[in-house]
Amino acid sequence: MPPPLLRGVLACAALLGSCLMPAAAQSQSQPAPSSAATSKVLYTLATQCSQAGGPPQPCTVEAIDESGTTIYRHRIGTQTIAVRITDSPVTMAIKSGTSTTWVPLRTAGALFSTNTICFNGRELCVVNPNYLNSVREDRQDLRLQGRDLVKVHFGPDGRVNASCYDSGCEADLR
Amino acid sequence: MSGALISSTSWRRRNSLVLALMLAVPSITSPLAALAVSLDASPYQLIARGGGGGGGRGGGGGRSGGGAFGGGRSGFQNSGGAGGLNRGASRPTGGWSQSVRGSAPSPSLSRPASRPSGGFSGADRTPSSLGAGSRTQGSLGGGSRTPADFGNRTPADFGNRTPGNLGGVDRTPGSLGGVDRTPGSIDRSNLGNRTALTNGDRSFGGDGTFNRNGNLDRGNLNGNLNRDGQRVFNGSVGNNWSRNWDVNNVNISPGWARPGWGYARPWGTGWYGGWATPTWGWWGANAALWGISTLASAAVINAAVDSAVTSNTTYIVVPQTTYQLLYGTVQPSGSQGVTFLVQVDGNTYNLTADCNAGTIDGALPNDAAQAELLNAACQVAYGTAS
Repeated sequence: MPPPLLRGVLACAALLGSCLMPAAAQSQSQPAPSSAATSKVLYTLATQCSQAGGPPQPCTVEAIDESGTTIYRHRIGTQTIAVRITDSPVTMAIKSGTSTTWVPLRTAGALFSTNTICFNGRELCVVNPNYLNSVREDRQDLRLQGRDLVKVHFGPDGRVNASCYDSGCEADLR
Repeated sequence: MSGALISSTSWRRRNSLVLALMLAVPSITSPLAALAVSLDASPYQLIARGGGGGGGRGGGGGRSGGGAFGGGRSGFQNSGGAGGLNRGASRPTGGWSQSVRGSAPSPSLSRPASRPSGGFSGADRTPSSLGAGSRTQGSLGGGSRTPADFGNRTPADFGNRTPGNLGGVDRTPGSLGGVDRTPGSIDRSNLGNRTALTNGDRSFGGDGTFNRNGNLDRGNLNGNLNRDGQRVFNGSVGNNWSRNWDVNNVNISPGWARPGWGYARPWGTGWYGGWATPTWGWWGANAALWGISTLASAAVINAAVDSAVTSNTTYIVVPQTTYQLLYGTVQPSGSQGVTFLVQVDGNTYNLTADCNAGTIDGALPNDAAQAELLNAACQVAYGTAS
């Protein structure tokens, strides 16, 4: 097994295009799912989505647990939009259509009372109670207790650099 | 997204200062650590920096033990790296839903407007929106009224209001209703004869109480009135109920028991029609026996759960009873059954109900309170979301 740096060089050689991605996108792509990654479909949900603040549309969400990341594949009509979320640190990236590039998200927000999570403002919103149930149950400490709205902002390195809750999301703390 | 408005510039400055001071003056690390905690805790506790480990600041590295960021109470510990969000791969209690049921909720991050203490309907009301026309102080109905508001009212407008013509009634002390109300003038001698009102125990007590424990059959009316004047049935305990269930071994706060719980329930819902729609066989035949004509509506039960969720309370008081239903423990059992924990008289019971057959632990409800409990548990499990 070559050392990590050499492995990275070999990977760049194999995927030259990806080595030209900005640093932020590179960091988003870590850990990069390998071809041998094990995938497990957690669930497929028939629900409602909206794009760019538009009207709700029927869609399906396929949640896939893949090598320490979760990929949410949204199918809206003939369109497919995937969101990839990692833990430790929490990062999110989006990929549309047939693109092979994961683009780091700028923001994400969840409103529990409407079972909605939105990515990049209202670029993509989806009613996904499964995701929020999992989050809620996994976070039984005080941080979500009594909270309804949660928003996070990602920095240039793809990691969360700000978060807010409820009316705090209306505050301007500049 | 407004989150983009949040800037951590000032924070970076403050924490850099704190860190620099700590590094420069190790002997005062502790006080400064305490200062860092207080700065982090308020009023900006909603802001979480970092985002979990992995970065230059996340644990490890050259900062070993005792530092403001190296373990212990840094103030960042509970803020959550991502506002509590994660990748959502842990299977929640109740499992995964395959479809969002109900009336197709729309994706929305719009929070309901906060209500002023008096409440309002609709949007914020600016003065200009309070109906047509301007409303000066003199026209607001409840406002201050100057003498001018009443027009010119001379004494002559009120007529001759001498004591003698106030309604034409002579209101001298001796004429107030024709009854002599001077002290000592009331004849109470006939109150002692009222024992004839009953064959039993309706006698007056010496303290003025009236004993009504006579011939009335109150077997199905046990309970009290709450402050709204509704009858509250004391929760009774069925003979076959298993008691002293250890609540600590049960997840009373599953992921779905939260704001939006109606659509978050991961099982099939929306078919339970409560006690009226459809009229279950278990209801009509027994309502008279229980001495009640209605049960709490779906809206009332949903509102109770909403209120409990908002106030971080793990139970609802079943309407018109003293039962405390731990709503987070409600789970489907089969296609029409439900299991749940309920607390009454200091004990916790694990019960199974059949929402179609109308039974609790296999038996019909003993009384109105148990019927209310059955109805509430079934509504939480299978009722339509509000």
